[in-house]
Amino acid sequence: MKTMFSRFALAMAAAVAFTAPAMAQKQGGDVVIAMTQAPPSLDPHASSAQVARNVNLHMFETLYARDENAKPVPDLAEGATISPDGLTYVFALRKDVKFHNGKMMGSADVAASLERFRKGGASAALLAAIDSITASGPNEVTVKLKSVQSTFLGNLSSPRSPIAIIPAEEAAKPIGQASPIGTGPFKFVEYKPDSHVKIEKFADYKPNPAYKERDGFAGAKIVYLNSVTFRFIPEAGARNAALESGQVQLNETSDSPTAKRLKDNPAFTVIPVLPFSMQVVKFNHAQAPGSDANFRRAVALAIDPEEIMAVSYPDIYKLDYAWVYGGSAYHSDRGKWKTDIAAAKAELAKSGYKGEKLAYIVDNTRPSVDVATVMQQQLAQIGVNIDIKVADWPTVSKVGFTDEGWNFWTHGFGIEPFEGPASVIAPWVKGVSQRKTDPVIDGLFDKINTEMSVEGQKKIFDQFQDHMSKEAVALNIGNYGLFQIASSKLKNFKAYRIPRMWGVWLD
Amino acid sequence: MLSFIIRRAAASIPVLLLVSLITFGLLWLVPGDPAAILLDASATPEALERVRRELGLDQPFLVRMGQWYWRILHGDLGNSLLLNRSVASAIVERLPVTLSLTALAFVFAALVGIAAGVTAAVRHGRAADQSVMMLALLGLSIPEFWLGLVLIWGLAVGAGLFPAGGYVPFSENPVEWARHVALPAFTLACVQMGFIARMTRSSMLEVLGQDFIRTARAKGLPESTLVMQHGLANAMVPVVTVMGIMVGGLLGNAVVTEQVFAIPGVGRLIIGAVLSRDFPVIQGGLLYLALIYLVVNLIVDVLYAVIDPRVRLG
Repeated sequence: MKTMFSRFALAMAAAVAFTAPAMAQKQGGDVVIAMTQAPPSLDPHASSAQVARNVNLHMFETLYARDENAKPVPDLAEGATISPDGLTYVFALRKDVKFHNGKMMGSADVAASLERFRKGGASAALLAAIDSITASGPNEVTVKLKSVQSTFLGNLSSPRSPIAIIPAEEAAKPIGQASPIGTGPFKFVEYKPDSHVKIEKFADYKPNPAYKERDGFAGAKIVYLNSVTFRFIPEAGARNAALESGQVQLNETSDSPTAKRLKDNPAFTVIPVLPFSMQVVKFNHAQAPGSDANFRRAVALAIDPEEIMAVSYPDIYKLDYAWVYGGSAYHSDRGKWKTDIAAAKAELAKSGYKGEKLAYIVDNTRPSVDVATVMQQQLAQIGVNIDIKVADWPTVSKVGFTDEGWNFWTHGFGIEPFEGPASVIAPWVKGVSQRKTDPVIDGLFDKINTEMSVEGQKKIFDQFQDHMSKEAVALNIGNYGLFQIASSKLKNFKAYRIPRMWGVWLD
Repeated sequence: MLSFIIRRAAASIPVLLLVSLITFGLLWLVPGDPAAILLDASATPEALERVRRELGLDQPFLVRMGQWYWRILHGDLGNSLLLNRSVASAIVERLPVTLSLTALAFVFAALVGIAAGVTAAVRHGRAADQSVMMLALLGLSIPEFWLGLVLIWGLAVGAGLFPAGGYVPFSENPVEWARHVALPAFTLACVQMGFIARMTRSSMLEVLGQDFIRTARAKGLPESTLVMQHGLANAMVPVVTVMGIMVGGLLGNAVVTEQVFAIPGVGRLIIGAVLSRDFPVIQGGLLYLALIYLVVNLIVDVLYAVIDPRVRLG
């Protein structure tokens, strides 16, 4: 009886939530979003860059997608049946889904899309566990795994480089060359290089009947707008000017002073998106002194994360020592540490460090340089001598994945803490990020990949966090965010991993 | 005249080859990875290596240089690593944007600069002269990106007279095109305006002080005829030289202006290519800029003969 009542109450609450804003909803209108840069590709399988996600996830959908709390839920699939041995997944597909070119989606399209992604997708490793993919019925696809992978549905629903379902004829094209034809609530209109991408409401789109509301990348995607234009405006001042002159309705990334200035202006809504990324400091374990845990611990004890984040991300940071974002089932306070200069000096004395100059590589964005600069000052207190080397992202990322030329490297982890434990552990497996294999991490990664229960996974992830903290494998300084500023005419907008344009309307 | 033009054009080929060689060599020395742009911060080395292989970046220096020259000799600038199109089409689709912006800036700079320079020379030593020279110095000193942002905030956000950025092709809507390029063209023209005004003034002062001008004035020629027909016509040779150099300056500075005003031109294409290490686009873009410089220099040389009959072409 209690369950029945709960269900009734939930249904009523959902109905009220869904119908309450209905009176205010308005059809039509064109929204322009100012973005910092253009997507590297509109082929959804070709890029895992954030800017590509911002655009592509309006046009493309996946079998499973992450909900508001990053949990994998069905999107183009009605659901999945998993065999008792955990090796076979049978996906029942939704039957009423149409591609933007008018073709109905079928199992051949799904199988071809998954095959294409696992062979050459930007994040092909997500599907590395697959042994075979078969279109086992007109609306059914069967995937067999080589070994049990507890994170398989999580991988399948990753927004990192979306495993989008595209028509089989497009999936036959080489990576980077597929036309932007998907099943999403918006369809492609035009791409003017260095200027904008325009998409419009897909008239034949049917929101997933399993849901009533917008829910992460899944849910009921109801479109009220006629079109959305993503305009690329690299200059921060010009983006704000475009917003304030009414040329754009949403500035996807704004600066803190502008957010403060417009906070009380009724013409705009300032939306802090926090957390959006985690600030990570990597050590090069292939080189001394980063190879010495005593040295790494000394650094961890000497720095003051509060000061680093307050300087680098004023007004938009949160200290959080967990390696996943708050709200996740795996979140905990286990990695917490306290600044202790005396203890740091003692740890440093145990290491072989003799005051030599150490290279701190950092990309040329202001907050990253600020993080390095504050750390340089803090570490000077215990006698660690840092030389900051600033370069653009392509240069830094090339150096940072080699064994030489760097000792420290800081940058953000954005999507990994959102995706969950396996994604957070993956960059440290086989020593990819720290440049030296760590058997403990490799073992924990194997264990979490085969552990099916959330409780079991949580225990393994706790061990990972303890290990990261005890050995100071790398430092998690805290979470930071960004400010999005919308015209107050844009209604029902809710910040998420991308600026979702479904469920919103113009007043 | 025709043989002169052919000789000059032929002499440009080694210059272009030298530019391409320097560009290719320098880009090889610059660190950086286009694959990092396609993938995110936590991409695995295997994924990066696979993308590099697909983009052909795993080839040795000499192989890539040989391929590059072979393609150029066949009139092919190659394909962009990231734009999913040929370099030539990437440049061609942006060329009208940059050319219309620089052409308008050129007209602004030439008309205002020459008029201001003539005014200053005629009113030499008076308030008008000092005002023009002060404004010219100001124009030369203001950084373009700053002026661009100030104009955006004052005239686009504040007064609402112009759009804050973006571009509308002339063929689509001439009025909107004019509204969109007015501020960036003015910004771009400002430095050159000051430059031309100063050059015109000094050249005019020199000419106006010569005997034939005194004679013409003694004959009773109207002052306007004296200044425009005898003075300005003779003062134009150094001004034309400056205007030739100015075209190069405008094309170079368009890179900054296009970035500030979010205009999809060749300058922005090259900046984007540099930041993402899209080597074929950088090489093709720089070759195109060098070609424009050479063509403009040729035009300036020909114009000398047209303006001043004493100049005889070898």
